[in-house]
Amino acid sequence: MEGYILAFFYYVLICDTLKLVKNEGENMFQSIKYVLTENFSNVYRIYSIAKYEVLADIRDSRLGIFWNFASPTINVLTYWFVFGLVMNRKDVDEIAFFDWMIAGMVCWFFIRPCIVDGCNAIFQHSKMISKMKFPVSILPATVVLKELFNHACLMVIVFVIFIIQGIYPSVYWLGLLYYCFCAVCFSISITMCTSVLNMLARDTKKFVSSIMRLLLYMTPILWPLSRFDDIKWLQIIMKANPIYYVVAGYRDCFFYHLGFWPYRFRAMCFWAITITLFAIGSVLMHKFKAKFADLI
Amino acid sequence: MEEKYAVIFDHVSKIYSLKSKDKKDAGKRFYALKDISFKIPVGEVVGILGTNGSGKSTMSIILSGISNPEEGTITVNGEQALIAIQTGLNQQLTGLENIQLKGALLGFKKKQVQKIIDDVIDFAELGDFLYQPVKKYSSGMKSRLGFSINLALDPDIMIVDEALSVGDKRFAKKCIDKMNELKEQGKTIIFISHSLPQVKSFCTTALWIEGGELREYGDIDTVADHYDEYVQELNSMTKKEQKKLIKEKFEKRIIKEKPKKSLLNRLFE
Repeated sequence: MEGYILAFFYYVLICDTLKLVKNEGENMFQSIKYVLTENFSNVYRIYSIAKYEVLADIRDSRLGIFWNFASPTINVLTYWFVFGLVMNRKDVDEIAFFDWMIAGMVCWFFIRPCIVDGCNAIFQHSKMISKMKFPVSILPATVVLKELFNHACLMVIVFVIFIIQGIYPSVYWLGLLYYCFCAVCFSISITMCTSVLNMLARDTKKFVSSIMRLLLYMTPILWPLSRFDDIKWLQIIMKANPIYYVVAGYRDCFFYHLGFWPYRFRAMCFWAITITLFAIGSVLMHKFKAKFADLI
Repeated sequence: MEEKYAVIFDHVSKIYSLKSKDKKDAGKRFYALKDISFKIPVGEVVGILGTNGSGKSTMSIILSGISNPEEGTITVNGEQALIAIQTGLNQQLTGLENIQLKGALLGFKKKQVQKIIDDVIDFAELGDFLYQPVKKYSSGMKSRLGFSINLALDPDIMIVDEALSVGDKRFAKKCIDKMNELKEQGKTIIFISHSLPQVKSFCTTALWIEGGELREYGDIDTVADHYDEYVQELNSMTKKEQKKLIKEKFEKRIIKEKPKKSLLNRLFE
């Protein structure tokens, strides 16, 4: 049943995309090609911007890289205190609640800053783009790459926590690489849109950061989806959430080991949304590429 | 014939929208540059003169291809680059790291950065400060570092915007010498400066813009003399007259009709 509904959802998305393709036509493919070539021909530039931004961040404080590990740890501890100790949640599918939660949270801690900081991706470099010829469309990728470093730090901590508790790495953990790639693609796509919109109106950033706070609780990260077993339609909407696809994927790799096949409809939804967002973002980037200097 | 010109401006206008105090007047538009046409031959060193607010910086941004004009067309033969001194320098990083970062920002590959690094260090004369964070640099040092990295870019057309007003005289001379070297290599240099003596000694032709319009383009000595006369004249006026003149000039640049463009229109135009 739910498979059909998801398939329908997917069908509607495709139709919408096709309609857009028909209207925007060549323009859209041109934009996508433009953004892709600009990104791939500037890989070293992306890497350097991200690297030196991380480095500048580290230099900023005395303890430096310590904070890259400490602040996510403290964040995790906060959630453990509230949900593990105070509320004493039951185990989910025979997995300790804390472990179950942390496997999803780790992914959220990556996507959230990507999307929130991503809004500012272009604006924070406004000084630079008004003074030199610069491929603006690479900026979303730099933000995501920078966050990827922090994500790697947090992953190390999570691995240590799991191994101490006796959850040992297996082949299935390699799936994390795929889901991480998904998260990167989704973040870049959405950031393409929001960063341009943020240049047109600075309200975008405020809007996105409040929405993200809401989305943390709307996405089944801190509570299991089985809570809505009686309300099927709500469950389906939740499953269509691209962030949940990645979160569930992380959990699958850590505990359930079901592989990719059970999640095929979600995967289709995810990639349809991601590609659509990327297309919209590319069109926006292409349209405003020469106007950013005036929009500041 | 076309090949001989480095830059061709054909009836170029740049328009900015203004925000004004009362709402009725909102959406006023303002000519930053108005109907400018000229041709700069390859290998020429052009000085751009003009009083404050006459559109020099807008000109440099358009010349370097960062921003597009609203009307008219620009043809540029070759790679152009704006020498922007302090942009892209990160306060927390050391001088060396900044060279690597800014090199990458300017579009160098890793090997190219390694290649230019020694030249840059040599030209910037930073010494042991190379390993200090840039926040501890004096402003002269910062501009030296920035200018040196930009020089390594080696474009066909170089646009220098008030770059030399920061460093001391000795370094300014060093830069001028370096630019003279480039001049002999046949590069086109566009030099934007307030300092008339500097422009006079360095440039071969000059371009004078006033109030967003092209006043004169020709041999350096004649244009500089006319410009000098104009500035003298301005200075000899009383304050009231000056104010009146400035207001007149401003009114001339405003476009009367007001096209209404909302955010949605801009997205879907």
